[in-house]
Amino acid sequence: MHSSLFSRRNFLQSVGTGFGAMAASDLLAAVDQGSVAEAPLAPRNPQFPAKAKRVIHLFMNGGPSQIDTFDPKPELAKLDGKPLPQSVLDSLQRTQKGRAGSIWASPFKFQRHGQSGLEISELFPNVAKHADRLCVIRSMKGEIANHSPGLLLMNCGHSVLSRPSIGSWALYGLGTESEDLPGYVVLMPSGMPTAQSGNWTSSFLPGVYQGTHIETNAKNGELIPNLTRDDIRFGTQRNQMLLTNFLNNRHRNRHPGEERLDSRIHSMELAFRMQSAATDTFDLSKEPQSIREMYGDTPVGNNLLLARRLAERGVRYIQCYHGAGQPWDSHSGLIPRIKNLTGDSDQPIAALLTDLEHRGMLDDTLVVWGGEMGRTSTIQKGPKKVEQYGRDHHIDGFTVWMAGAGVKGGTTYGSTDEFGLAVAEKPVLVHDLHATILHLLGFDHKRLTYRYSGRDFRLTDVHGEVLHEILA
Amino acid sequence: MFSSPQISRASAGVLLFAFSGLSMVLAKPAADKSADQAGIDFFERHIRPILVSKCYECHSEAEDASKGGLLLDRESGWLEGGDSGKAVVPGNLQASLLITAIHRGDEDRAMPPKQEAALSDAEMKLLDQWVKRGAPGPADDIGDTEFSRLGDQTFIFGKAEDHWAFKPVDAIEPPKVDNPAWSPSPIDRFVFAKLVKNGLTPSPKASPRDLTRRLAYDLTGLPPASAVDYQKSSRDYVDELLDSPRFGEHFARMWLDVARYGDTADTYRPDTKTPHYYPYAFTYRDYVIDAFNADKPYDQFIREQLAADLMGVDERAPELAALGFLAVSPKRSMSADFIDDVIDATTRGLLGMTVACSRCHDHKFEPIPTADYYSLYGVFGSLERAAPMQSGGFPVIDGYERGEEEVADYEQKLAVIQKKIEEAGEKTGKGNNRSLAEALEETELAELLLFHDGAPARAMTVKERKNPIDSFIFLRGEASQRGEQVPRRFLRILDPDQPAFASDNSGRLELANKIADPENPLTARVFVNRVWGALTGSYIVDTPSDFGLQGAAPTHPELLDWLAADFVAHGWSLKHLVSSIVNSRTYQQRSLVRADIGDADPENRLYHRGKLQRLEIEEIRDSILAVSGQLDARMHGRAGLLLEGDYTKRRSIYGYINRFNLDPTLRAFDFPSPNQSQESRNESIVAPQALFTMNSAFVIDQAKALVDGLDFQADTTREQRIEAIYQAVLHRSAEEGEHTRINRFADIEKGRKVNPWPLVAQALFMSNEFLYVD
Repeated sequence: MHSSLFSRRNFLQSVGTGFGAMAASDLLAAVDQGSVAEAPLAPRNPQFPAKAKRVIHLFMNGGPSQIDTFDPKPELAKLDGKPLPQSVLDSLQRTQKGRAGSIWASPFKFQRHGQSGLEISELFPNVAKHADRLCVIRSMKGEIANHSPGLLLMNCGHSVLSRPSIGSWALYGLGTESEDLPGYVVLMPSGMPTAQSGNWTSSFLPGVYQGTHIETNAKNGELIPNLTRDDIRFGTQRNQMLLTNFLNNRHRNRHPGEERLDSRIHSMELAFRMQSAATDTFDLSKEPQSIREMYGDTPVGNNLLLARRLAERGVRYIQCYHGAGQPWDSHSGLIPRIKNLTGDSDQPIAALLTDLEHRGMLDDTLVVWGGEMGRTSTIQKGPKKVEQYGRDHHIDGFTVWMAGAGVKGGTTYGSTDEFGLAVAEKPVLVHDLHATILHLLGFDHKRLTYRYSGRDFRLTDVHGEVLHEILA
Repeated sequence: MFSSPQISRASAGVLLFAFSGLSMVLAKPAADKSADQAGIDFFERHIRPILVSKCYECHSEAEDASKGGLLLDRESGWLEGGDSGKAVVPGNLQASLLITAIHRGDEDRAMPPKQEAALSDAEMKLLDQWVKRGAPGPADDIGDTEFSRLGDQTFIFGKAEDHWAFKPVDAIEPPKVDNPAWSPSPIDRFVFAKLVKNGLTPSPKASPRDLTRRLAYDLTGLPPASAVDYQKSSRDYVDELLDSPRFGEHFARMWLDVARYGDTADTYRPDTKTPHYYPYAFTYRDYVIDAFNADKPYDQFIREQLAADLMGVDERAPELAALGFLAVSPKRSMSADFIDDVIDATTRGLLGMTVACSRCHDHKFEPIPTADYYSLYGVFGSLERAAPMQSGGFPVIDGYERGEEEVADYEQKLAVIQKKIEEAGEKTGKGNNRSLAEALEETELAELLLFHDGAPARAMTVKERKNPIDSFIFLRGEASQRGEQVPRRFLRILDPDQPAFASDNSGRLELANKIADPENPLTARVFVNRVWGALTGSYIVDTPSDFGLQGAAPTHPELLDWLAADFVAHGWSLKHLVSSIVNSRTYQQRSLVRADIGDADPENRLYHRGKLQRLEIEEIRDSILAVSGQLDARMHGRAGLLLEGDYTKRRSIYGYINRFNLDPTLRAFDFPSPNQSQESRNESIVAPQALFTMNSAFVIDQAKALVDGLDFQADTTREQRIEAIYQAVLHRSAEEGEHTRINRFADIEKGRKVNPWPLVAQALFMSNEFLYVD
């Protein structure tokens, strides 16, 4: 039931005979599936020098409204309360079309911020202080205007089929620099986002590349499965570990040349260290009070502070979901809802950016903010009172921003039309976003491939173009 | 009209006049050199630069891209065109798709796709001019290359004629070898001859102790049952293990990886956040176990999995559960993705062919045209599936006895849930429009059916549609883009004449018969390779689900053919196959790494030694239960939780597999994704595996239970305790050094008022001696 582990030498031999035409440079650029099998998490160099060493993806699951946050549409004020022109209505997706009510200009004020004059709404006063660091992409396009397919597309590059997530690809390509923590961590205050573990699956990539889902509101010690046991003391467990090591070393001596056994002994030691390292990493009481206050002692604040602690310790890919299910999904009561959501997240996000910068980590950490889609500029039919107004799902022109390693701050890319309902300039597919993130991590998305089921698969399938314009 | 070669001479003359460029092409062979040169110069000076800057990124070998099957870096590329048709028809602007695309009349088909990259008016004019003058190509045209032939099915079929896997299985006489120990078994003769040829020698036989453990694990997935087993002759022991019901439980797991088995769909209910359960999937798992235990002929096993309902079996026959191979798909509803999944599982799983790659285009590397994909699409698209919870859709089958008490308890719980469902009536959930009754059915009722032993056992089957369909080819995989209609039939490479299936149903049984045909060159080879790899630790063909042109070449082609022929000759008997492999010297070699071999066979692909194999997660879990005296050996029936909460103590094969949310411990131990057919498992070594043995409640519980079971008394000496634990876990005595070291451990822990013995037992669970088998 085991496939033979194939060595680097064997790999090179089979390449040498099978794909004679492959240029030497290609060979060096490709991820060596053979060496990956032997040491799947060992740090590896990317294909070219990378701007970003790690990614923190702030996932606003549920779909944040772009026109109330980062994509101002002042002209809509004149049309507020009017029906959409028939031609625009006809251009909407079928589900949205049936539910689209009148035009609803954003009830929130936008202001220009920073030297760049980037426009950000009053909902994000603290994030706005970082305006000159943000690169706001206003022309994102999705495929299916619903949560599950949107999440899967944004995370794994396919709306329907099970494909490896971007974090799994990053880990496969780069390994991890953390010796005693998982390399790809998904942080949630509690519970699971919609589409659950499908969001961080390694699919056909080896299982070690799957994201480790951690509920940060859970009791310490339950964050990572089997991280600790509390029925014996540390000293006893250490004593037991030494005994196991003794037994394993005897066994190893009877098996000269079996290097796998060294890896296994090493992994036991690593696991033992991980118990305390992970426990220590997740212990926020180790942070100074000023930092705790900067992030705020709230579920989202703690989540993002943990993200920084993980990033600091070499974790490759970190995702922070806002909360369980799809909290940003504001079909009704958008005003109170989005005030709460941005109230929860504005201060922690700003704190994260400040904190990373103070530590000199913003230069090689890519921060990505966004959801699986955006929202319509119209009311979703139904409510009469403005407090009950909501916005429907929308995929033709939503916003994602990036900050940090390798991206041009204080800029926007692409635009939506006057109604905020269609991309007007420079459409960006999710595959383009993925290609750009992989590029920042030092990979040509076309060459980061994995052979499975007779085909070389990649995150961007047959799509994806790097957004060179936004690169610093 | 230009595509028609039957243009009359008369009209051609007129046309020649109208499109003067065409005359140049037609006359090209005879044209004088200077006219040629002018065309070449025009191309190089004006056209190539445009193609390079605007088109090459997606349509050139240099960029490793031929989007839409189109190459624009060579004359044959634009003349033959891509998926949409000819890019350039010399002299004819209207018929040249390249020209219509660059003029962007239809923005959906405009090229380059991005508006910003559109050609300038001057560039468009030049290209128009070029086509008008006959689209002269470069002087040093690169012509056909390996790259441009990707997807060229005629070329690939030509190549496939010489491909070993598509040739009939050769009944090869094993070579004679001059070594008596390596002569009786034909397997050994093939292996020995190859070793000699490579200047290598085989390893000595494994020690009786190692061999006993190896056999027990390889044939049953469990350690030897007791010290007595170590005394048996290997041949007797093999027979005994083959007769044990544990054999089927173990080999079923190998098959369930291929069959992507799970107890849920790969999706979940958004309102309740519960997976879509498959309450009756387990009868398929039981079917597989029973088939292997009964040594059901493999050809029969194939037929039943694809078409048991068409084979005239009784309406309550347990064989109907075989259809779970199709119905237990991760795709829950009858959809294109379901059909794709069963095509994939059937062709990779049974034939080692990657047919699902041909969903959108002819296969780039393999002799599999898209038409073949849609022939099978017709077969599986002619199915009907009942919803997983539509109990009337699935027949109750024989072979499951339910205790009276269990039934009573089940019925009582059922009544409670049914009452709730009734009360819910037409009501919908809060804040959504989903029916509450349906939610209750798919959660509470489904969980009851899935886990309660008193519930009836049903086969998860598929049915025939009233009118079977012949599918259209969906161009680029899109249902809205219809190509030609293709009949239901077998794959062209294996059945060159491709007669349409004659039956008036889906044709599943005919398909099954084609696959299970002893003349089929792939079926037996693929299966014996799977079994060989599972037993020896290394496959003859290292890509077990891909025997195509892109698959790995066999290390021992003659041996593979001999095994396949022998397997078929012995009635497709798995037990015969296993027996002949494990009784060979090849299999029984000592596993130690050999210094004398050096780098000659680093991966042991030539079988110069036995293997040292890490136990799989199922084997680790089952072994810990077994040596602790905790294993519940009941067979069949509903799944239980493997590791969490109130976990079952039955074998891991009976564990609940949630496809949507696979247990992280399983993942950490390389349990393969149950969302696609899996050809093999990785063997990674990562810290979470160690954390499981160190800290999981499951392991800690069993270590305690083991020591409790040993019933130490106040006067049991330390030596006796150590000895008892060693005998229980490792079936051997502790050595002196081990006694000394464990005594030291016990001293320290006693000093801490900690009972050391469960910790000692657990240390042995964590030891490599326990987790690896020589």
